Amino acid sequence: MIERTVVIRNRLGLHARPAADFVKTASRFVSDITLGKDGSWVNGKSIMGVMTLAAECGSEVTVRADGSDAEQAVEDLVTCLMKEYVER
Amino acid sequence: MTNRVLRGVGVAPGIVVGAAHVIQWDFPEISRGQIERSEVAVELARLEEALDAVRRSLEDLRERTRQRAGEEDAKIFDAQIMMLLDPEFRAGVETLIRENQLSAERAFEFKTLEMRALWSQSTSYVLRQRVADLGGIQVRVLNHLLGRALATPIRPEGDNRPTIVFTRELTPGLTVQLERESVAALASVEGARTAHAAILSRSLGIPCVMGVVGGLERIRDGMDVIVDGTHGLVILEPTAEEVEAAYAGERLRHELGTKLDEAAGQLAMTTDGRTIELRGNVDLPEEIEPTVNHGATGVGLLRTEFLVLGRTHLPSEDEQSDYFGSVARQFAGKPVLVRSYDLGGDKFPAAFQTGPEANPFLGWRAIRVCLDQPEIFRRQLRAILRARRHGDLRLMIPMVSFIEEIDCTRDLVAQCAAGLAEEGIDAASDIPLGVMIETPAAAILIDQIVARCDFVSVGTNDLTQYTLAIDRGNARLADRFSPHHPAVVQLLERVVDAAHRGGIEASVCGEMASDPLSAFLLIGLGYRVLSVSPPSLSLIRWIIRQVDANGAVVAAEAALLASSTAEVEAILEQALAQYVDLQLLKGGRLPALVGAARLLGSPDRHP
Repeated sequence: MIERTVVIRNRLGLHARPAADFVKTASRFVSDITLGKDGSWVNGKSIMGVMTLAAECGSEVTVRADGSDAEQAVEDLVTCLMKEYVER
Repeated sequence: MTNRVLRGVGVAPGIVVGAAHVIQWDFPEISRGQIERSEVAVELARLEEALDAVRRSLEDLRERTRQRAGEEDAKIFDAQIMMLLDPEFRAGVETLIRENQLSAERAFEFKTLEMRALWSQSTSYVLRQRVADLGGIQVRVLNHLLGRALATPIRPEGDNRPTIVFTRELTPGLTVQLERESVAALASVEGARTAHAAILSRSLGIPCVMGVVGGLERIRDGMDVIVDGTHGLVILEPTAEEVEAAYAGERLRHELGTKLDEAAGQLAMTTDGRTIELRGNVDLPEEIEPTVNHGATGVGLLRTEFLVLGRTHLPSEDEQSDYFGSVARQFAGKPVLVRSYDLGGDKFPAAFQTGPEANPFLGWRAIRVCLDQPEIFRRQLRAILRARRHGDLRLMIPMVSFIEEIDCTRDLVAQCAAGLAEEGIDAASDIPLGVMIETPAAAILIDQIVARCDFVSVGTNDLTQYTLAIDRGNARLADRFSPHHPAVVQLLERVVDAAHRGGIEASVCGEMASDPLSAFLLIGLGYRVLSVSPPSLSLIRWIIRQVDANGAVVAAEAALLASSTAEVEAILEQALAQYVDLQLLKGGRLPALVGAARLLGSPDRHP
């Protein structure tokens, strides 16, 4: 199992669009992916779960991947979390 | 008298007088809850069929939105489609069907209610806003499973009044669907400016008020109502005077709209013959076309952050050169002022993240970063030098507070040009260099700056923030943050005077130039180049064409003697009122023009 913790940088946090990107990326991997914040964990392939975490700008989240492609998964998902979005 | 005037938030401008139609898009009653064990397979199949059908209808709405409002708005439906197809959510519904022997509709309702409860209680404002997206899915799936059509407004025969729909919660899907039913205006109890449905109603041009409190239960189908999306009001059973006032308000809006349309394509010249160069601020590539089409005489601020944000690596020299070259070509021969990277703090690609700073606005950013990381800067300078073959590209550096920063930049430009020549790469041998005046230090040292550069451009938001020591993002101080503070006005004068004495161009590319009152002041102070966000181009062009430059000078001279923001504004308003109907400006101005500029990642540093 591989895990990494990062701080959310997008101004509005991990909301609809960034959450969707995260889930789309997570779904490309066979590994089980979970995302945690303040002790609660959700399925990283579930948009409802990821949105429920309501990770705001500045909050710390941990990506955990377990499976054959765990390393690449964590790498890609961290990149995804570090993205900033142009908001309207 | 009962209160007939309901207050809400105007999220899409426009005033409509019409007949109310209440849509109860509330969730349908489910009578059949429990099922027999033998029915499980049938229920699972029903669920699958319903999810599939709703997915198709959402995809239809997405496509329709894309055609009517563009790809960006269409993406709103992507989140809903993903929610609908969420594997974990679906597995939860299937488990309820299989193990608790619930009907497909009961199981789906149960799961969405669970989600809804969780999200509604969240302390996250953004998450609470997404409850409407959830509701949109819930209502569609349940109605499909129950074989019921979604309620749509039906106008009685012979009633020609425009239809105004009232609903508890406005979902993006409902908004687009209602647009197809030629609904004239919308009002809802839930929701706010940032709701997806609000963004959509603005794009589709349907006046809309959200957050209407108290009174939805008093509205009956067919009741006469006014919805004022410009001011966020709903008036029930309006009096003749109120209807007249509504029509008058709407006339003002249209009148201003027509005037602005007429001004497009005309010279940006004051009534006494002073020509003002009107340029556009370009954040993103998609803003280039509207700016060119408007007839802007160049780009007064080409931001380069979008090349970096949301990526892990800095863009290559080729990529930047291609982008700058394409902008230069589209503005054939007109000046394009490229602002060098305004990065810093957390506005940095992941690979360059630094630790958090206690005071990012006073921290390591903009030109400070570029000069400390010359490899990053060099790549950008080489890209501009190469692209300058395609047009009049110029360079301006942000947040300057030391004269050395200008000298160092010049040296770097010279080194880059020499390097390119040595490598035999086709490129310009120099770039006109400008300085953004955003700090009091730069405004005070303006004579020394003018002596060393080719033009100056004022970033008014930062100049105001640093001069007044007011964080422009602090909501508590928002009413004190104004570029009309006398100290800022005096610095603005100091800058333009020094530039003209030194024979160089002074422009304003800050948000200030997009405000009619401020534009009038800037013209009066002597600025001849204004650069504004693309949606404000028509308004400012029209203002320029209405005013007398000498009158503006007189007003600016009086403003320079004022001792408070209120005094400055009173002077400007009184003077501007000689040329334009302030009522028309206030009543007719679309709220969407104010602060509609996109926000980049935090802390945003729009000048």
